[in-house]
Amino acid sequence: MFGLFKKSKDSQNGESTPEWYSELQENQQRWFAFLEKLEAKMEEFATAAIPELKEIMQSDDDIYKRTFHRVYSGVNGQLNNIREKARDVYEEKVHDVYYNFNSQISVLSKHHDLLSDFRSACSDRYNEFENKYDYWRKQIDKTQERDLETEYQKILDEYEAIKNKFNCTQCGGNIVIEKIFLIQTYITCPYCQTQNTFAPSTLGRNLQNIARNLAEQRTAHMYEAYEAEKDKERDLYHQRHELSLSIIHEKDKKVLHEVQLKMDDLEEQRQFAIKNAPKLHQEYLRAMYDELNKITPDLKEHNEKMYQNQLQYL
Amino acid sequence: MEEKKVNSFLNRLKENAQKQTNYGGEMEITEAKINAKDCPNCGAGRAKQDGLTHCAYCGFEFFNIKLTDGVYIKKEDNSI
Repeated sequence: MFGLFKKSKDSQNGESTPEWYSELQENQQRWFAFLEKLEAKMEEFATAAIPELKEIMQSDDDIYKRTFHRVYSGVNGQLNNIREKARDVYEEKVHDVYYNFNSQISVLSKHHDLLSDFRSACSDRYNEFENKYDYWRKQIDKTQERDLETEYQKILDEYEAIKNKFNCTQCGGNIVIEKIFLIQTYITCPYCQTQNTFAPSTLGRNLQNIARNLAEQRTAHMYEAYEAEKDKERDLYHQRHELSLSIIHEKDKKVLHEVQLKMDDLEEQRQFAIKNAPKLHQEYLRAMYDELNKITPDLKEHNEKMYQNQLQYL
Repeated sequence: MEEKKVNSFLNRLKENAQKQTNYGGEMEITEAKINAKDCPNCGAGRAKQDGLTHCAYCGFEFFNIKLTDGVYIKKEDNSI
């Protein structure tokens, strides 16, 4: 009658996909191919840069390793460029395209799920790319690590060598340098009481620059223990959640009871992890600052202030 | 081709990093040393009990601040 229902009937019967779907598919394929290329580029660049960075770290004789840090930030910048490219293209070819179609196609349309699928497939792929970026970024970060124990040992050796070397400029009596000084200091001659000025070497002064990192390196295992405990909370939550989903359609009371027991157990573990993580964090901080105080006893008062400050943010 | 591009980029980066001079000029590496400051006015040495701020003999002022308690210097180091 009047052909009024003909059109809607046709469109409902039609199993064929709408014409915009091909554009979406093409976008998706291109996006996947683009990310693959970027990932290959990133991998190639990082694998070439990491040995170079390690070599520069070894050969850089600057006390602050400034040449290394310049190259390091250049490498990071290049990696960041790749990441930004991916983000820009995602904005343009996925995000904008999705919202463009979304405004034209009703959510009630049976083809709308094609659009959502497009978006979730593309954003999942994007997350995968971001994970790879994080991985390479961490690998590059690792090249910053240096052997602070040997550097510390060098400072200790130098101190051993100079500690009895000096004489009073006034009376010539021997002056013992009683500890590693970080700044210029007055040292009183034990014989004639003259105030001598002792200037520590560049190497010795550098101790306060490496002290914190050295203390962190020595207590790294405790920090890892804390991190692991902190991550447990989410893991246990997800495990429990999976279990709770698995019994939605369960009728058997015995099975229900068993799963419930398991869930309670997981929840208990989770609550324990929540309470335990800050404790481990504090234990780590205490141990780290104890190490720091051992390395630079003169700065103890200052170190303790930092410790007290960090305790507030556990 | 790609391999070459990456390597040339890294080499250029390295070269530039090595060429660049540090802000503040060359780093001075010094050895530990000891010295004593005599009074420039009368030539007397400075002894612990006389304090750091003034010469005990002629009253010459080494520096005109009042010392407070620090890590190494204590307020007892003020000359009376």
